[in-house]
Amino acid sequence: MELLNIRNLSIEYKTKSGTVKAVEDVTFEVGEHESLGVVGESGCGKSTLGVAILRLLPPNATTKGEIIFNGKNLLSLTNEEMRRMRGKEIAMIFQDPMTSLNPIMRVRDHFFELFKVHEPSMKKEQMIKLASEALESVGTDPKRLDNYPFEFSGGMRQRVMIAIAIALKPKLLIADEPTTALDVVVQEQIMQVLKNLMKTKNMSLILITHDMGIVSELAEKVTVMYAGNLVEHGEIKEIYNEPKHPYTKMLLESIPNIKLDDMELKYIPGSPPDLKNPPKGCKYYPRCPYTKEICKTKEPKTVKLGDRKVKCHLYSGG
Amino acid sequence: MKSYILTRIGLSIPMILIILTIVFFVLRVLPGNPVLAMLGPKAPPSVVKAMEHQMGLDKPILVQYVDYLKNIAKGDFGHSTVTGMPVLKELMQKFPATLELTIFSMVVAVFIGIFYGTIAAYKLGSPIDISARIYSIFVYSFPVFWFGLMLQLIFGVWLHWLPVSGESSPFMTPDPIHTGIYILDAIINGQWDVLKDSLEHLILPSLTLGIVISSIFVRMVRANVVLTLSQQFVVAARARGVKEKTVLFKHALKNALPPILTIMGLQFALLLGGAVLTEVTFSWPGIGSYLVNRIHSRDFAAIQGTIVFFAIFVAIISILVDVINAWINPRVRY
Ligand SMILES: Nc1ncnc2c1ncn2[C@@H]1O[C@H](COP(=O)(O)OP(=O)(O)OP(=O)(O)O)[C@@H](O)[C@H]1O
Ligand SMILES: [Mg+2]
Repeated sequence: MELLNIRNLSIEYKTKSGTVKAVEDVTFEVGEHESLGVVGESGCGKSTLGVAILRLLPPNATTKGEIIFNGKNLLSLTNEEMRRMRGKEIAMIFQDPMTSLNPIMRVRDHFFELFKVHEPSMKKEQMIKLASEALESVGTDPKRLDNYPFEFSGGMRQRVMIAIAIALKPKLLIADEPTTALDVVVQEQIMQVLKNLMKTKNMSLILITHDMGIVSELAEKVTVMYAGNLVEHGEIKEIYNEPKHPYTKMLLESIPNIKLDDMELKYIPGSPPDLKNPPKGCKYYPRCPYTKEICKTKEPKTVKLGDRKVKCHLYSGG
Repeated sequence: MKSYILTRIGLSIPMILIILTIVFFVLRVLPGNPVLAMLGPKAPPSVVKAMEHQMGLDKPILVQYVDYLKNIAKGDFGHSTVTGMPVLKELMQKFPATLELTIFSMVVAVFIGIFYGTIAAYKLGSPIDISARIYSIFVYSFPVFWFGLMLQLIFGVWLHWLPVSGESSPFMTPDPIHTGIYILDAIINGQWDVLKDSLEHLILPSLTLGIVISSIFVRMVRANVVLTLSQQFVVAARARGVKEKTVLFKHALKNALPPILTIMGLQFALLLGGAVLTEVTFSWPGIGSYLVNRIHSRDFAAIQGTIVFFAIFVAIISILVDVINAWINPRVRY
């Protein structure tokens, strides 16, 4: 059975200057122990999607559709039921490790708070043991439990964030650009930490990133998003070997590749549409090299090609 | 932490010295001869001369200045030119009443400020937030004596619920006096009728002062909690399943506290120097009333003493605030 089923999920933000369609009719699933990469350019709705799973969107957001986790629709839980899921069943880490820890709390107290919320009867020795194990599993010395966040570097803080996130062995970890704010060497270390965790813990992962390279290191499946839409979804190997959606092709060509250093690095011309006034038809047509007449007027349907899903008129027989 | 406190105390010494210096020279420059004020304008010059000599006013100004500093260091604030009593002794007599009023007003103001401000920040843009913004602008514009008068009119004159002036009714002072703070003394003595009487006298002045001050606090708290609520660690705490109440008070409010405490501490110190308008409106026998009296009678020693007393309080309280902030925020402490 799938751990997470997202069905026809649409999310809108109401703002003074109009309604932002941040996520539109997105459907995908994540299996147990599976890791899924969600990729796309900045502003395409990746974080919105991730935060929506935890139901932590700001009050101006409205969510439609279904988020079925372990057989339960998260969108129909009470606030209290949902709160109990967070940190215990589903955990999340964020892009900016420098500001994700409470600056006036010791690392230890971040763990203890989590434990007290979810397991009020846990003894102190047990809490210290669990916290130490979690820190060790991300390669951090448990002695550092007594330190304050400002005593850590960015990479160390992200390790701590991951340790807190996995301390209660959640079934799903959502990592929203966990390495974007870090320098390249540290990025690689954090990726290594996540890889080890995926091998040793029974956990599923949603890895949100704008970097196709990072997805290829870790994920088994990938969802490509463009302007709030899922444009392609499938096994990472298949998508790598044979991207179908023109946007996926562009994304893959824009990965820096050391072996091909004589080749010119491609970038995607143009910029994503304004989500308050997206173009009619396919959202990608203004930047697409294969645009036909139909792309400008009719929104493509999502079609299944084997295990793959693609939302493009090139494949919808149109 | 200890070295931090010591440095902080060390740093405040030059500050107090500067204030003492300013007080000294400003009072010398001001028009009005204290001796004439004391003896009356028609006093014969020989008497004036003799008096000036006795008070050391005929010495060079720098010598006077050094004497003044020496005396303050010894705890000698000079003698009142009106009563002849040591100024420090007079101040210590008035101080308990002021302290009592200050503490109760601050409790009112801090309570309203913290809760109203935090909840407004949490419900940003909601009717309760709008009401908080209106409250802080509206109440801030209240003149204290007008607001005090209104409360006196409503609760004293019309409803006859509460006394409108003084610190206690006749024959209702605690006996014996230990601290000079009536409430405390009544409790120590177990004189419950005195306690009730003192509390009744305290309600209107401390509500007046507390409510007016709370307007600044509501605004400060709201603005700072709005800032911390928007930070990533608040979302991260929610993502760990932390309860909303904890997120709001332990994460958002506590991180917002340092600037809030600074303002609250300064306000506290300001009140300890005498809430002049409130004390006068309610005939409250504290330092504010004392200062007004002595300004009328040109009691330079008393005025100078009160200002110095007040300056030292501001210095002490700001040290306290910094220490509390350092205790909250590990970055400062280490
Ligand atoms: N609170 C909000 N109110 C209004 N619009 C919002 C809000 N949060 C996000 N948006 C808009 O929703 C869209 C999707 O934002 P989101 O943060 O999910 O994108 P993202 O893919 O995570 O981008 P990035 O790579 O920059 O993190 C953007 O157009 C953004 O401007
Ligand atoms: Mg994002």
